[in-house]
Amino acid sequence: MRFPFPPILIYALRRLLQAVPVVILIMIGTFLLLKLAPGDTVDALVGDMGGADADFIARLRAEYGLDQPVWVQLWRYMTKLATFDFGWSFVYEQPVSTVLMDRLGTTLLLMATSLSIAFTVGTALGAIAARRAYSATDNLISVLGLVFYATPSFFLSLMMMLLFSVKLGWLPVGGIKTIAGFYTGWDHVIDVAKHLIMPTAALSLIYLSFYLRLMRASVLEVADLDYVRTARAKGAGEMRLMIHHIMRNALLPVVTLLGLQFSTVLGGSVVVETIFTLPGLGQLAYQAVVQRDMNTLMGIIFLCALIVVVVNFLTDLLYARLDSRIELA
Amino acid sequence: MTSLDTDLSPAEPPRLVVFWRRYRRNRAALLGLAIFVLVVLMALTAGIVDPDDPLRRAGVPLTPPFTDWSTPLGTDQLGRDVLSGVFYGARISLLIGVVATLVAIAIGVVIGALAGYFGGWVDDVLMRVTEAFQTIPNFVLLLTLVAILGSKIEWITLAIGIVSWTAPARMVRAEFMSLRGREFVDAARNLGVSNTAIIFKEILPNALPPIVVYASVIMALSILLESALAFLALGDPNYASWGNMIGQGRAVLRSAPYCAVIPGIAIVLTVLSFSLLGEGLNDALNPRQKKQ
Amino acid sequence: MTSYFRSLGLALAAAGALTTASAVAQAEEVQKGGTVVVQMKGEQRILNPGLRASTGVYYITGKIMEPLIDKSYEGYEPVLATDWSSSDDGLHITLKLREGVNWHDGKPFTCDDVAFSAMELWKKLLNYSSALQANLESVDCPDPHTAVFNYSKPMPMDLFLAAMPDLGHPVPKHLYEGTDILKNKYNTAPVGTGPFKFVEYQRGQYVMAVKNDDYWREGYPYLDRIVWRFINDKSAAAAALESGEVQESGFIGISMADIERLSKDDRFDVGTMGYENNVAHSTVEFNHRNPILADLKVRQAMYHGLDIDYAIKTIMRGYAKPGRGPIPTAGGANYTDQVPTYAYDPELAKKMLDEAGYPVKDDGYRFHLRHRPAPWGEYTQLWAEYYAQAMKEIGIDVEILTNDAPGFLKGVYRDHDFDTANGWHQFRSDPAVSTMVWLRSGQPEGTPWTNQFGWKDAEIDQMIDDAASELDPAKRAEMYHTIQAKAMEELPVIFAIEHPFISVTSKKLHNHHNTPRWNSSSWYDLWIEQ
Repeated sequence: MRFPFPPILIYALRRLLQAVPVVILIMIGTFLLLKLAPGDTVDALVGDMGGADADFIARLRAEYGLDQPVWVQLWRYMTKLATFDFGWSFVYEQPVSTVLMDRLGTTLLLMATSLSIAFTVGTALGAIAARRAYSATDNLISVLGLVFYATPSFFLSLMMMLLFSVKLGWLPVGGIKTIAGFYTGWDHVIDVAKHLIMPTAALSLIYLSFYLRLMRASVLEVADLDYVRTARAKGAGEMRLMIHHIMRNALLPVVTLLGLQFSTVLGGSVVVETIFTLPGLGQLAYQAVVQRDMNTLMGIIFLCALIVVVVNFLTDLLYARLDSRIELA
Repeated sequence: MTSLDTDLSPAEPPRLVVFWRRYRRNRAALLGLAIFVLVVLMALTAGIVDPDDPLRRAGVPLTPPFTDWSTPLGTDQLGRDVLSGVFYGARISLLIGVVATLVAIAIGVVIGALAGYFGGWVDDVLMRVTEAFQTIPNFVLLLTLVAILGSKIEWITLAIGIVSWTAPARMVRAEFMSLRGREFVDAARNLGVSNTAIIFKEILPNALPPIVVYASVIMALSILLESALAFLALGDPNYASWGNMIGQGRAVLRSAPYCAVIPGIAIVLTVLSFSLLGEGLNDALNPRQKKQ
Repeated sequence: MTSYFRSLGLALAAAGALTTASAVAQAEEVQKGGTVVVQMKGEQRILNPGLRASTGVYYITGKIMEPLIDKSYEGYEPVLATDWSSSDDGLHITLKLREGVNWHDGKPFTCDDVAFSAMELWKKLLNYSSALQANLESVDCPDPHTAVFNYSKPMPMDLFLAAMPDLGHPVPKHLYEGTDILKNKYNTAPVGTGPFKFVEYQRGQYVMAVKNDDYWREGYPYLDRIVWRFINDKSAAAAALESGEVQESGFIGISMADIERLSKDDRFDVGTMGYENNVAHSTVEFNHRNPILADLKVRQAMYHGLDIDYAIKTIMRGYAKPGRGPIPTAGGANYTDQVPTYAYDPELAKKMLDEAGYPVKDDGYRFHLRHRPAPWGEYTQLWAEYYAQAMKEIGIDVEILTNDAPGFLKGVYRDHDFDTANGWHQFRSDPAVSTMVWLRSGQPEGTPWTNQFGWKDAEIDQMIDDAASELDPAKRAEMYHTIQAKAMEELPVIFAIEHPFISVTSKKLHNHHNTPRWNSSSWYDLWIEQ
């Protein structure tokens, strides 16, 4: 028995340290990038209001510090951020931290369910496809996965909504819970689950095919390795072979993908959250861009960066757990 | 599909024949090729099918399909011909797919090659930048870029390229790291060949196969990204694109579903064909993986 | 003034495109209780009508905070003010305030609240209102239920009254005094005197309000609860209506195609009733700094190139009328149809452009224009695309530059970086406080929805100023007729299509859309079949 933890911890900690400049780079880059966009949050607010007079507009700009040079604004923002102060959202008239915390739960829930469904169903189907490689079953599974992947998520969402909400009346159109339903306990859980079915399906179907294809390729590759052949020669059952010998190693690249995919899924959830009016970070990010709500967008990006760093850290650990022979560069 | 396999067995002449023999073993890939050829044909013949501007009024608005032979697939809310929109849309989608992919691969190759070839601090810096781009949700970055640049088709395409380069950069870097120690590179270096020449003439050609395979993924993603932008009303309305057609068609989704469904099917088939092509290319270019 | 608004209501009723569900509802037995869920397209984040003048804000807060004076089809309706009068010189306006009204926190509503709101919010902070109240010097409280507004220049009573329903929402002084008003927490958790009390605002999801048991109108409201749900996606909103999750969608919250479809569905009332105060024009705006567009003949030719009836039929599904200048039919006495018009005639348009010195060149076009469409979605976008399409037919190449809202507003109003633009502009019951800012030169640089088009015409400027200070309604109307005709002749802006807003309402609702600004009103008499 070996002890993989000390080296993995060092490796993981090194990656954490490397993440610091990345996060700073991201924050400064995003700030400057959004400053390049034409118009500012006052334009957006006045647009929402249906107009305002010139004095009012000038006063808002001064109030929000938008009359300062960009470098001053950036400095002010970064010094505040250094103390984990996300600032104030002029669009929501709330501290950014409150705005974010309100949305984080929904997004994490949506992502966790979507990714775990995509992961389990995808890897299972991928493994089946690989064991029956080049058969009709394999072709069917592979093509089906690709079709899901090729369908724009908004298209899929609208079609599901049409079928399950309007025609059949089984599922609610959108939102995270029945407003004014006042459910508690299990009723609440069931209510939320019902609201999440369609968005989760829409989101997970895209990523399912990633896992499916990767798993299929991975299993095919591992199945040919010597130790699997040895095991088979020794008369190991197909099921045992699959679980003990193949799956374990085939999962490695798939787990890497899982870590990398977090921010991609957040991007993908913009459209899904918009259609299903889910109060999550994806929709918030889109609104923040369109409203030039600098502080909120910066907060989302920062949160996202933190989550990616944490997820990568966990993936590293998981990776080491799955393959104790892994070499840590 | 994103195989990082490196040892490409030396192709025996004639290369194309071998390539084709390997490619056609994958029946799904043949289907993909067929659809792809069809889409290319549509793009090429758009001007013959409808010599006029696809955005002009061609008939009574919301004529259903198969009712009027001058507009066989019907017309949309402004009386524009859906069939001609689908044909011209093939042009736009392919153009966005190809150009955005080239942009992404160009950036990816340069960054990945430099990082992988030189290693050390160059690698460190470039990899931090890559990680930064990977950490920002790519669609949010795309929205921001489009907010900055506006929704002109050139800018949209460029923006899609900019959000898609990180994966190829990582792949190129991995290839370069494993290839830079090979004998042929050492030999070239000893002969006094410049770094630039080694990177682009010696290593890059050997590093390309997985990138070519991955290009099909970027192409597919580009088309999906453009359609998602159009869905959020951030497409370029000066061109008939499938995304725009769906974006506008969904307003009449209930009363005239064909306006959104027809371009929707076009997108699904095209993206599907790219993915299948990619698998075929993978089988053909990385044959080691397949030992059936 | 009273008769002005009655005739307005009648004129619209006669015009035809209305539903009259509320008239039927009167006869039925009222049911108390129940929840009404309303769809809202955009999220309103500031819920204080004393700080933000916007229909979206009134849509929610109108039920929670009440104005001094509202409008009904019969005329002005006393709400928190019961009586109003003006001194002969127009410098003092005296309001009698309703007695026995309490804020939702139990404190009584008095003149102090009105004086504080007027001086600290309406005059200083409220958009649109700060211009209106620029000459307000002070508000006196001779007794707790009398408020006297003192002006340094005469304030026409009809202008004051026309503005009050929107720009006259008092806030509770005891919750605002001594605080940073812009950051006061009650801006997002309003405390008012209305029939419903604010409960919670879940960002990105909904706002909820419940029945105020202490409401001053005895026996009202009927409903237990109102929920405003934010659904941006128009297809999702239509689905929510159809599945019964939502009972009302206002301000064209779903696509025009779905509005037309649901108008044939017997579960819904679909109509423009209740928006007499909120009529808008879909426009084509010119940048007169461009020498080609400064040529009147070119603008007129372009108007001739637009098939307005086709656009009304296809884009607006018939829920609109051709525009006749800056004042819509809903403008009542100030409106006239005795103006020059431009029939759709592409051949004539081409001929006029040839004559103006812009023949078709080698590239197939006479000239090229860069067009900025307002990103307000669906019909505004279709109107932009139709405009580009129509211009192509007469040999003008129009390139559409799409931006999001801040980009559009900056491009057109701050940078003036466009040749043509389109959007819609709302007519707010009186031309003096709305569409005239599109024609009057000298607007502060960069102010959105004002004349940033480089248009300057001394004669029109003079006419606008004269009309604004004219106290005799008949003469005033006469003057606006002249302005309207002149605007149709000179075409500083094409007010192409006049369209009211449209609501889709479940037939379970009764007493709905029964005032000219119904969605902004308090809904105290609204009830729902259980």
